[in-house]
Amino acid sequence: MFELQNVEKRYPGVHVLKGVDLKIGDGEIIGLVGENGAGKSTLMKIIYGAVQHDAGNVLVDGVPVHFRTPRDAMQMGVGMVYQEQSLISNLTVMENIFLGFEKPFIRFGAINWKRMSEAARKQLRKVKLDINPATITSRLTFSQRQLVELAKVLALEERVDGKLVILLDEPTSVLSKDEIELLFSLVRELRRRASFIFVSHRLDEIIDLSDRIYVLKDGAVVDVISADEAQIETIQKKMVGREINREYYRENRQIPYNKDDVLLELDHVTVAGRENDVSLKLHAGEVLALVGVEGSGREPILRTIFGMRKPEKGTVSIRGMTVRSFSASQSVSHGVGYIPRERKIEGIASGMNVFENMTLSQMKNYSKGGMLDIAAERELARDWIRRLSIKVASENVDCGNLSGGNQQKVVLAKWRSGGSEIILLDHPTRGLDIGAKEDVYEMVRDMSVDGVGIILVADTLEEAIGLSHTIAVIKDGEIRKWFNCQPGAKPSLYDLIQHMV
Amino acid sequence: MNGGLTYTERMRRHFPWITLVSALLLVGMTDINFLSPENLLNLATDIVPLLVMAVGMTLVIYIGSIDLSSQSIANMATVLTTISLPALGVGSGLLVIAAGLLFGAISGVVTARLKVPSFISTLAVGGIALSVGQFASGQQALHMDAEQRKHAFGWIMGTTAGIPHELIVALAIVAVAWFIQNRMTAGRTFKAIGAAEPVVVASGIRVERYKILAFALSGMFAAIAGLMFSVRLSGGSPTLAEGFLLPAIVAVLVGGTPLTGGVGGVTNTLIGTMIVAVVRSSMLYLNIPATGQQIFFGLVLIVAIATTIDRSKLRIVK
Amino acid sequence: MNQFLAMENFRKWIPLLVLIGLALFFTAVNPNFLSFRNFARIAISASPALMVAVGVTFVILMGSIDLSMEGTVAVCAVLFALMLNALGGSIAGWGWMAIPGTLFVGAILGAINGLIHVQLKIPSFMASLSLGFVGIGLSLLITGGNRIQIEDPIFRSLLTLRIGGFALMSYAALAALLIAWFIQDNTTIGRNFYAIGGGEDLARSSGLNVGKLRITGFVVAGIFFALGAIFAVARLGIAETETGRNFMFVSVTSVVVGGTALRGGSGGVWNTLVGVLIVNVIGNGMVVIGLPDYFQDGVLGLLVIAAVYLSTDRRSLSFVK
Repeated sequence: MFELQNVEKRYPGVHVLKGVDLKIGDGEIIGLVGENGAGKSTLMKIIYGAVQHDAGNVLVDGVPVHFRTPRDAMQMGVGMVYQEQSLISNLTVMENIFLGFEKPFIRFGAINWKRMSEAARKQLRKVKLDINPATITSRLTFSQRQLVELAKVLALEERVDGKLVILLDEPTSVLSKDEIELLFSLVRELRRRASFIFVSHRLDEIIDLSDRIYVLKDGAVVDVISADEAQIETIQKKMVGREINREYYRENRQIPYNKDDVLLELDHVTVAGRENDVSLKLHAGEVLALVGVEGSGREPILRTIFGMRKPEKGTVSIRGMTVRSFSASQSVSHGVGYIPRERKIEGIASGMNVFENMTLSQMKNYSKGGMLDIAAERELARDWIRRLSIKVASENVDCGNLSGGNQQKVVLAKWRSGGSEIILLDHPTRGLDIGAKEDVYEMVRDMSVDGVGIILVADTLEEAIGLSHTIAVIKDGEIRKWFNCQPGAKPSLYDLIQHMV
Repeated sequence: MNGGLTYTERMRRHFPWITLVSALLLVGMTDINFLSPENLLNLATDIVPLLVMAVGMTLVIYIGSIDLSSQSIANMATVLTTISLPALGVGSGLLVIAAGLLFGAISGVVTARLKVPSFISTLAVGGIALSVGQFASGQQALHMDAEQRKHAFGWIMGTTAGIPHELIVALAIVAVAWFIQNRMTAGRTFKAIGAAEPVVVASGIRVERYKILAFALSGMFAAIAGLMFSVRLSGGSPTLAEGFLLPAIVAVLVGGTPLTGGVGGVTNTLIGTMIVAVVRSSMLYLNIPATGQQIFFGLVLIVAIATTIDRSKLRIVK
Repeated sequence: MNQFLAMENFRKWIPLLVLIGLALFFTAVNPNFLSFRNFARIAISASPALMVAVGVTFVILMGSIDLSMEGTVAVCAVLFALMLNALGGSIAGWGWMAIPGTLFVGAILGAINGLIHVQLKIPSFMASLSLGFVGIGLSLLITGGNRIQIEDPIFRSLLTLRIGGFALMSYAALAALLIAWFIQDNTTIGRNFYAIGGGEDLARSSGLNVGKLRITGFVVAGIFFALGAIFAVARLGIAETETGRNFMFVSVTSVVVGGTALRGGSGGVWNTLVGVLIVNVIGNGMVVIGLPDYFQDGVLGLLVIAAVYLSTDRRSLSFVK
C-alpha cells in the first residue's frame, strides 16, 4: 500500500501542492486528472522521487520513506513510465531494462549476455512483447518502446519485497486505438503484480480503466470519485469550477476590433512535422487566444508565425504581403514580436542591462553605420520604465536581477518600442504573482487600443477567456472550434474543455 | 531586488586588477628595480604580440566559444609577411590581415553553419593554417631584408619620447577592439550571444553572421600579432609563434572573461595580459626555469576557468 | 522506416569505404603503395597513434573529450625511459616493471583530468587542454629538454622483431585493441559509457553514478595514452617531450573520421581502428606519391570538418559553441 499524507510543495512565489492526501491499495488502479497547472506533474515527480516534498509524509506499507532520487523510489518499488520516453535509444532493449542493475549478470568482469537476454525475455513476456532483447532500442516502434519501459519498471518486482506502484504518464497520447486496447488489457492483467497511477487528459479512458479517480485543482485534491459513479461532465466541472472575475481580466476595457484591418493571415498552413491544416486571421486590436491541452500544437503555430519554423504547405501573409522566406529576423522586420514562454531562457538576457535588452531586437534604429547611439538607448529605456512603471533603480541594472513581472515588462517594452504590430504572447503570465499578472493584462488592453494584434497562448483557460476577442480551440494540431468572446457573452470553461479533450 | 549583487560577485569584478597590483608589489618587494618605469615599459612592450592575439581571442570567448587556431594563424602570418615583403612592401601587412580574416571566417562558418564545436573547428582550421605556413616557407626560417623591413614597417619599431611605437600600436588596437565591443552593434550582439544566445535568436538577430564575424576578427587579430612578431624578429617561420596559445587563453581568462562568455571583454584582457607578463618575468627574476611557466600557466588556467565559469549556463558539463 | 535503416546501415560503412578508396587511389598513382613492406610500415606508424586514439574513443563515447594526450604521452614516455634505465636498463631484468609503472602514471594523470573536469565542473575540452599544457611542461622539467636514449634490444624488439613481416609492436597494439573492444562491449563500465553518451539525464535517473563513470573513462583513456607512449618510445628508441607532439590532432581526427560521433553514444574502437588507418594511409600515401608531408595537417583539418559535418544531426542541435 502506498500513501501520501498532507504533502506540500512550494516553489518561489507559487504554492504548488496544498496538503495532498492520496492512497493506493494493492492492485488498485488510480486515475489522476486535473487541468494544466493543477499540480499533477509535481505530484508525480514527488511520487517517483524526482522532486522532494517540503512537508507531509510518503508511506510505503505504512512506513514513512524519503526518496532523494528516482533510484531510491525504484528500490522501494515505485517506478515511472514516462510520457516522453526515457529509454536510451543507442542501447539494446535488455541493456535498457537492466541499466544500473547489471551486477547479477557479471561473470569474471564481463557481462553474460546470454543470461541478461534470458532475464530480459522474462520481463518482456510480462508485457507480451515478443522481440529480441538484443534489438537496438531506436529501431522499435513507439508503442513497443512504451511496453519496454513498462517491462523495465516491472523488472523491479524481482528486486523489491513488496508490491509495485507504477505511474503511467499520458501513456495513450500517441497510441492507436488497438494499441490502447492492448495496453489497457495488459494493465488490468498486471494488477496482480502492481498497482497503477494513471494520468491522462482523456477522461473516458480514465473512467474506463481506473477504480477511483482523484481530481486535482489548484494544488489540492478536490474530490475522489469511484469510477462506477463517474461521469465525464461532473469530472470536468470539478476540474475547472471557478467563477471568472471580470474585473481581474479588465473586461470593461475590451473594445471591438476593426474587422477590415487584417494584420496576419494563415491560409491552409501545414506546420512542419505535423499533418495539419490551419487557417486563421488576426485583425488590428484583436486578441486571439489559441486554447488546447499541452502538446495540442499551439506552440508550433506560434513559432511558425514567428518564422522559426518553415511551414510545409500553405501561405502566411502579413498585412496582405505573402511571407516568402521564413526566419525570425524576417518576421521581426515585418513587425512581429514574440514573448516566449521560457522568459529566462528566450525572453530576457540576464547579464545585460535594461536598455541593452530593450534595443536588442531593434539595434538598427539606435545605431548609425554600426555605431550605437547609447544616449538614445538610455532615453528609450527611461521612457518605457516610466510608461510601464517598471520597478528598477535605473536603466543600467542587470535584467537578471529583476523580478519576473518586471522582466516581462522589459520584454514587452522591447517589442512595443520597436513598433511591433503583431505580438505573440506565449504564457505571458507564467510564474508571475497576481499583481504582476494584472499589469500584464493592463498592457494587453493598452496594446489592443493601440491597434496591435495579439495571439495569446494563455497560462489558464480563464485567462484566455477573460482576455480574448476570439478563441480557437486546438486539438491534435488543428483548429476544432471557434468561439466569439464579446464581453458579457463569453463561453464558459466547460464549453471550451468539451472540444479540447 | 534592484541590482543587488552579492559581495563575492562584486569582488570578482575587481579581482583581476587586484591580482595585478599584488603581483607587481610582491615582485617589487623582492627587487625594487622591477618597478622602475623602464622595466615596466620593457615588460609591456615585450608582450605586445601576445596582447594583440589575446584581444582577438577575447571576442570569441566573449560569445562563449574558443579559438585554438590563433597560434597557427600567427605562425602562418609571420611566414606570409616575410615572403610578401619584397613584392608588396607595407601591403604585405594588408595581405596578412586579409589572410587572418579569411581563416577566422572559415572557422566561423564551420562552427556556426556546419555546427561543428568550435574547439574542433578551430583545431582543424589551425591544421590548415599550419600546412599553409609550412608550404609557403618550405619549412625553413626566413629572414627579412633589413632595408625593406625598415622601409615598410620601420614606423612600428621606433620610439617617441621613450615610448616604443609597438606599444602605441598595440594600445590603438586594443582601443579599436574596445570600441567594437562597447560602442558598435556587433559588440553588443557578441555580448548578447554570450549572455543568452536563445534570446538573441528570439529577438530576430541573425546569430550565425555575428558568430562568423567574431571568429573572423579573432583570426585577424592573430594575424596582426604574427605580423608584429615577425617585424620585431625580422623574419618568419612556421613555428615562430610557438607557445603563444596557452598564455593567450590564460590572459583572457585571468582577466575575467569566463569561458561561458557574456561578461568581461578587451579591457579585462589588457589586465590579464599584464598579469601574464608580470608572472612571466618575475619567474625569470626568481630563477624559475622557463619550463616551470608552462606548468604554472596550465594550473592557473584551470583555477581561472573554475572560478569564473557561469555554471548556470551549462546544464550538463561535457 | 526501412529506407531509413538502410541509409543508416550504409552510413556505418562509409569510413571503411573511404579507407579502401584511398588505398585504391594511392595504388593507382603509385603501385608501390600496394606492397607488403609498405603495409608493415603503415602498421608501425599507426600503432602508437592507435593506442592514443582508442583511449580518447572511450571519452568521446561519453560525449566528453580529452585533449591532454600530448602532455600525458610526453610525461609517460619520459618517465618510462627513466624508470627503465633506473631499473637496470633492460626489460629482461627488473626493467619490465617500468611498463606497469608507466600505465599507472597514465591512469593517475587520467584520474586527475577526470577529477578536475567532474569535480570543478569545467568543460572537458578545456580541463584536459590545460592539463596537457601542464604535462608538456612537466616532461620538459624532468628531461631539461634533453632526449633519453633507450638501448635495450629486447625492448626495441617491439620494432625490430618481425613476425610474418609485421613488427611485434603491431601485434601488441592489436592485442590492446582487442582488450579495448572487450571493455567496450562486455563490461558494465563500457556499456555505461554508451549509456551516458546516449542520454546523460536518463542514465542518471536510472541510478548510474555519472561522475564516477566519467572519471573512470578518463582513467581508461590515460592508460591507453601510456601504452601509446611506450610504443612511441619503442618506435624511435628515444623519449623526450617531443614524443607527444601532434598526437592531439591526429588522434582526435582519427576517432572522428572513423565515425565515432562527438556527441557520444555511437561508434567505438573498431571505428577508431579504421580512422587511424585512414589517417596513416593518407600520411604514407602522400609521401609515396611524392607530396610533401606538411600537407598532412591541412588535409586532416579538412577531413575532420567533413567528418563532423556529415555525422552531425543538425536538427537535434540548437546551439553549438
